[in-house]
Amino acid sequence: MPKAFLVDTTRCTACRGCQLACKEWHDLPANATKQRGSHQNPPDLNPNNLKIVRFNERMTKEGVVVWNFFPDQCRHCITPVCVDVADMAVPGAMIKDKKTGAVLATEKSAKLSPADAKAVAEACPYNIPRIDPKTKRITKCDMCFDRVSAGMQPICVKTCPTGTMVFGEREEVLAVAQKRLAFAKERFPKAHLVDMEDVSVIYLLAEEKEHYYEYAGFM
Amino acid sequence: MNTTRRSFLKLMGVSAVGLSLGQLGFDLAEAQAYASKLKIEGAKEVGSVCPFCSVCCQIIAYVRNGKLVSTEGDPDFPVNEGALCAKGAALFSMYTNPHRLTKPLYRAPFSDKWVEKDWDWTLNQIARRVKDTRDKDMVLKNEKGQTVNRVDTLFMMGTSHASNEECAVIHQAIRSLGMVQMDHQARV
Ligand code: SF4
Ligand code: SF4
Ligand code: SF4
Repeated sequence: MPKAFLVDTTRCTACRGCQLACKEWHDLPANATKQRGSHQNPPDLNPNNLKIVRFNERMTKEGVVVWNFFPDQCRHCITPVCVDVADMAVPGAMIKDKKTGAVLATEKSAKLSPADAKAVAEACPYNIPRIDPKTKRITKCDMCFDRVSAGMQPICVKTCPTGTMVFGEREEVLAVAQKRLAFAKERFPKAHLVDMEDVSVIYLLAEEKEHYYEYAGFM
Repeated sequence: MNTTRRSFLKLMGVSAVGLSLGQLGFDLAEAQAYASKLKIEGAKEVGSVCPFCSVCCQIIAYVRNGKLVSTEGDPDFPVNEGALCAKGAALFSMYTNPHRLTKPLYRAPFSDKWVEKDWDWTLNQIARRVKDTRDKDMVLKNEKGQTVNRVDTLFMMGTSHASNEECAVIHQAIRSLGMVQMDHQARV
């Protein structure tokens, strides 16, 4: 049965527990970073951060400061373009697991030429894949495939203290998503679910996607 | 990625790209290879507590051959129900961090160097200094001649990780020394 995530950003406090838990589970080292005047740190996804919480702060016309949080990760697309593009160069470099719907970058991704690896990264509508300069592999969220295969929850979902994330069978998650949407709309009339039909990681946003991140949504 | 490429893909529609080999599930072996390395497989689960704040989230420490291999929230603990914040989620890195202190360090007055010491020496030093300070500064009576039996030059800093019972015992021990200055910082 395909799996899905709901990421209800109206609940996210940007504690970044998910971001750190993802690093810890995958044994990824710290990055040297600089103070850039933002809590978004490191500034972007990279081979050591398969998930980052993006911060978007702005002042509305009414003079109200709005601070939106967006825990960014691979959407495990229903029809992943990254897999199509990789297949043209090195079959098996990127695969989609039929059972769970997880999209994985395999060891074979190191065999992609730099140009092909770049093409895979650039094909992604959500700007997710990054290339590890050391291993030459494509790096991205793997849905905690080892955990999920063993019947466990992805570590980011398990760690989230606010219930922002829900993981489970796609049908069940879709039902929860609709319920959460109806609830969110009471406070945020513009609340919506992003690209629900096309992805396994469904974001609930309180307002237009531009107020979160350039690649928050595609459709 | 530039806007042109995105608009192009959008125009085509993601699903119109079609199913390639990798999407049809011909890669079972690859996927299995990927899943075969669960790092906590066969590790012993040991209950522990996050040391960072007063919430005291419980964690499961996964131990194999006497070595910590992973940590995560304990779903059966009612306070955190498996969840952790960024600090608690990073406990394993605290353990593996090369900057973590594993032995007492001592810096002598006016010295600019830290020296490694063993626990016996350290605990003796602490006991010695508490005793010396108490002997020197014990005030038996105040200006009005009332019995006070207090030491004003020692201070007790508590921890919100202590339970009621532990607090009661610590309190009595500290009071018995004549210490009256006590505080506690809810975050430590
Ligand atoms: S753990 Fe949950 S609340 Fe914290 S940043 Fe991640 S999604 Fe948001
Ligand atoms: S979000 Fe990008 S990397 Fe992830 S499956 Fe979709 S196309 Fe591939
Ligand atoms: S599902 Fe796993 S790999 Fe993906 S963002 Fe969450 S913790 Fe990281």
